[in-house]
Amino acid sequence: MAALPKRIIKETERLVSDPVPGITAIPSEDNLRYFEVTIDGPNHSPYADGVFNLELYLPDDYPMCAPKVRFLTKIYHPNIDKLGRICLDVLKDNWSPALQIRTILLSIQALLGAPNPDDPLANDVADDWKKDEKRAIEIAKEWTLKYATKKD
Amino acid sequence: MGNVPTKETRSRSNTDSSSVSDFITSGGAVSIQNTIAASSRSSQRRNTTSFNGHQRSASSELRRMKRQQEKDNALEKHYHQLIVKFNEHVDGGYLAPFGTYKSNLDYNCDVVRRLIIEGKLSPFFTPLQDFDESWTDEELYIILKQLPLHALEPGFNDEEEEDDVDDHKIHKSSNFYKRQEEKSKLKALIARVKEAQKVEEQRYLESKATSTDMSSRDLLLRLYRQPRECPICFLYYPSHLNVSKCCLQPICTECFVQIKRLDPHPPHEEQANANPNEPPLPHTLISEPASCPYCASPNFGVTYVPPKDLCTGIGGIKPSQYKQYTGNGDITDEEDEKVSRTNKKTPPAMVRRKSATPELITIDMIRPDWETKLLSARNKLARKAATASAIHASNLIISDSTESASGVTDDTRRRRGSGETGRRRGNTAGSASNSNLRSIEDRMIEEALRLSIIDEEIRKKKAEEEEAKK
Ligand SMILES: [Zn+2]
Ligand SMILES: [Zn+2]
Repeated sequence: MAALPKRIIKETERLVSDPVPGITAIPSEDNLRYFEVTIDGPNHSPYADGVFNLELYLPDDYPMCAPKVRFLTKIYHPNIDKLGRICLDVLKDNWSPALQIRTILLSIQALLGAPNPDDPLANDVADDWKKDEKRAIEIAKEWTLKYATKKD
Repeated sequence: MGNVPTKETRSRSNTDSSSVSDFITSGGAVSIQNTIAASSRSSQRRNTTSFNGHQRSASSELRRMKRQQEKDNALEKHYHQLIVKFNEHVDGGYLAPFGTYKSNLDYNCDVVRRLIIEGKLSPFFTPLQDFDESWTDEELYIILKQLPLHALEPGFNDEEEEDDVDDHKIHKSSNFYKRQEEKSKLKALIARVKEAQKVEEQRYLESKATSTDMSSRDLLLRLYRQPRECPICFLYYPSHLNVSKCCLQPICTECFVQIKRLDPHPPHEEQANANPNEPPLPHTLISEPASCPYCASPNFGVTYVPPKDLCTGIGGIKPSQYKQYTGNGDITDEEDEKVSRTNKKTPPAMVRRKSATPELITIDMIRPDWETKLLSARNKLARKAATASAIHASNLIISDSTESASGVTDDTRRRRGSGETGRRRGNTAGSASNSNLRSIEDRMIEEALRLSIIDEEIRKKKAEEEEAKK
């Protein structure tokens, strides 16, 4: 395997030395481009008190193309589908090489705090959300409790 | 292999070589007799039944070969221009990238090299992986002297290793074999270039002590004593980097040449995803200029101001002669004059312009082929769509396809001829007008549709015959 670009090494170091509150990202031992990530659900959101596991992979072209990020924990959210894929512009066409792992994870955390059913990835969830927001938020809370509670 | 001419075409090019270029410029017609022998080979390769109408003309075969040769030569030249050469020096930097990135190196080398020599874009400086302000000049100098010309990692990926559309097909198209051939050619080329970089590295090592092309201690310290970290690659460079036009953020040249338009794509990705069964319409494919990576302003561009006290390498004094480092980078007028006096051997044509107002360098300037690429992506999609509709149409076509097929094909050959000259005109013009491109594109789509329908007719006819024999 090719040596790791300096940028990835420095980003990883900075993630450790200057961690983002509510977010962890730990590189895997056998592949330093693969990160195990946790994101705390934002307060005052249906995901509050939940801890969500994600995986993040830096492709060969990183930072010229976006990291690949996916939720591993089941989550009820209009912009996240059954496979954990995330609909977020900065992970696609609006990616910029000046963005970093930390900024991307912050954007994902922000997405949890602000679901956008008008730009859905999970159409069924988005439909529920638009039809009966209260009910949808209840389901999201239930799922958070069921799948995303901290294991002490 | 697919390019080997048949006897007829070969003899033609041997006896009267000037006619080859005549054909290319005029796109002229060749008599039908020539075409039959010339094309039987390619028809067989395609696994389709050979029949009169469906054949390449000799002139188009020649044009194709010549085009292939030009393409090969251009690629060879391109990759060789990615080799960092220690005597291609500008102000302590080089004309080729260090090798931080292993892909997206498809920028136009001629343009970038010229911009660097003219002082309009920062040279490719060798990056420092780390920097510590507490280093003494001596410590820094030792590190700088040990820097290689090019990243120790081998240079390039085998780029554009896309999955081939035919990989899963049992009957591969002739294009499949062509693509395979090109892939292995590219692999061999990359291997040669990597080897050439190694040789260059060796030469660099061997001449370090003696060559006047080596940067002096003063030059190295002048450049790297107060380096700046590029916000994209996180590597340290001499502080006078390129800066973004919109928000004045620094960017090294190696990162700058990575920024390019997105590949041609449908206008709204989400919609395409939502309905994967309906491919996007070819003409709707778009590709926008890249935005600034820092502030997302559209149409990213940078400016570069070369430092006045530096003029070494191409068009300047020998890098080994630079003796201006005063410890804080300040240069007196007197010393400035000394520089210009030592500047004798400069060939007049190569003298660098250090213009008062820096020029805006956009990402489209260093990849002027984006328009051609968009066009070919649309064309590819159109072919796909045409195949799909041809399969659909063939279900509607009943019998007596022989007459109609040959009728159509005669027409097709004429159209193909005009289509190709049209395309070439578009290429050489560089920036063909939009309307011109569109009409060429329309013709190409039409052509793709026709060929697909004919192929499908032949296939059906053959199947019917097989059926009848039983
Ligand atoms: Zn950079
Ligand atoms: Zn900007």
